[in-house]
Amino acid sequence: MSATAGKTPTPDQQVEAELYKKRQKIYPREVHGIFAKMRNLAMVALLGIFYGLPWLNWDGHQAILFDLPARKFHIFGLTLWPQDFIYLSLLLIIAALSLFLFTALAGRLWCGYACPQTVWTEIFLWIERKVEGSRQQQMKLDKQPMSARKFRIKATKHLIWLLFSLWTGFTFVGWFTPIHELWHELITFSLGPWETFWILFYGFATYGNAGWMREQVCIYMCPYARFQSAMFDHDTLLVAYDEKRGEPRGPRKKSADPRELGLGDCIDCTMCVQVCPTGIDIRDGLQYQCIGCAACIDICDEVMDKMGYPKGLVRYTTERALKGEHTHVVRPRIIVYSAILLFLFSALVYAVATRVPLELDILRDRNTLYNETDEGLIENVYTLKVVNMTDKPQTFKLSISGLKDAELIAQSDEIKAPSGEVVSVPIRIRIDPENLPSSGNDIELHLESLTQPGLETTETGRFLGPMPEL
Amino acid sequence: MQKNPTIYKDQQELPTIQRVISVLWPSFLVASISTFLFFAVFDPIDLGRLAGYPELTRIGGYTIGFFFFWVMTAFSCGLTCYFRKPVHPPTIK
Ligand code: SF4
Ligand code: SF4
Repeated sequence: MSATAGKTPTPDQQVEAELYKKRQKIYPREVHGIFAKMRNLAMVALLGIFYGLPWLNWDGHQAILFDLPARKFHIFGLTLWPQDFIYLSLLLIIAALSLFLFTALAGRLWCGYACPQTVWTEIFLWIERKVEGSRQQQMKLDKQPMSARKFRIKATKHLIWLLFSLWTGFTFVGWFTPIHELWHELITFSLGPWETFWILFYGFATYGNAGWMREQVCIYMCPYARFQSAMFDHDTLLVAYDEKRGEPRGPRKKSADPRELGLGDCIDCTMCVQVCPTGIDIRDGLQYQCIGCAACIDICDEVMDKMGYPKGLVRYTTERALKGEHTHVVRPRIIVYSAILLFLFSALVYAVATRVPLELDILRDRNTLYNETDEGLIENVYTLKVVNMTDKPQTFKLSISGLKDAELIAQSDEIKAPSGEVVSVPIRIRIDPENLPSSGNDIELHLESLTQPGLETTETGRFLGPMPEL
Repeated sequence: MQKNPTIYKDQQELPTIQRVISVLWPSFLVASISTFLFFAVFDPIDLGRLAGYPELTRIGGYTIGFFFFWVMTAFSCGLTCYFRKPVHPPTIK
């Protein structure tokens, strides 16, 4: 049916088609080395943050909590409300731009070290290795027919994976609803249906992505992997095989001089292929499947060491450096990204620094435009909504200005608003009609905190009265 | 500079699982963003009250909203996939 039908597919197409048809399970060999250490460090740090941070308290509340049920975000001392949506959007834009900048500079470092997909796959692989053993043992086990022993091993692995996934789902929900309460609900079997659903949903996604899908997520599903090539240029850091030095590849004795044999430095041990989590051969050149995890660097350095050759046949480098040219770190693309980032970041800092965590809304009484009191004064009735967006209870003092001799009548002189709450305050304002310049006037309400000096806001409301007599 | 995956002349060559992913996954991403934007402005409790479901919790509202968006976006992705089929089967030379 296709336009290419009838022609023989290119070898490339054949390989791809095979990949698509039936995925060969990849058994990455374990590596040790400097980059493996860094990867493990990043993994421990990131998993520590993910699983640990929700349990941390700050000032009597969860330190970081994107409290969806309460529609409030707590980030240490800062509390953000839906009104503060702009800050969050700004933050997301900054994060995206940083990723652009970072990608242009350092390529897929994000993929190799920090991406949740990589990090969770890595920990799942670790569990798999603990249960099933080394690469060879895993391959052997998978070839065996089902037996009691095989079943036991497989069941253990999946059980640990599932428990770990459920814990991940629980923690995930704990970023969005208070985790201590969630824990209490969990152990008393009183979890709400929606919370249960999301724990299972996220847990299942973790199990599927890190246990089964693995590199396929990077290759077929990740949008970043697809568009990152737009951010790459010839000066971007990447993992590459030094073809000039390595080829022609071939096995040889350690004692042999490769130059005499007409060989390059690659001994064709295929170790770099065995360690690759995406199952590619780095010696085939740059490939979009490569997540830049540097496992092949570590292993090849080890091989080079054993052979007594210099390290770095596979190494972090740039396309320019591979061609023997000089790499430019500072280049227009980097300057533009950095400038925009700097601007957005300053804007964010400024906005957060000058943010007033207090809101005053003035709602006029809808039923009457105005009343006349027995003393002949004009009276307007309002309901004030005071939103205390700080994380401390506040006592406010209300004052008015803008109209001469206006009198403010409230239930009490002070307005008390608990932290993170909206309080409604009914007030009346009375004024002598002689002091009203027109039938509709602006009046300013000024709210000032007695607890926290400097926390104040002013809103303008309408004061209605009769048409002044001319 | 980077080696591209083989470009398929016709989507029909993709195996089913890939086509399923190409419908469900982009719609998932777009649904997530839509849910975020939508509920930044609207409070599910208010919406629930308006729609006559005062007992709806916020988490419940978010969840329903998310799946609603997901079903709709998946529907759209599915239609795109469907309409990509050639109307006339190409003649094989
Ligand atoms: S690990 Fe190094 S020496 Fe071995 S095949 Fe790969 S590139 Fe060649
Ligand atoms: S080619 Fe090397 S850097 Fe790229 S994914 Fe494979 S092991 Fe990691």
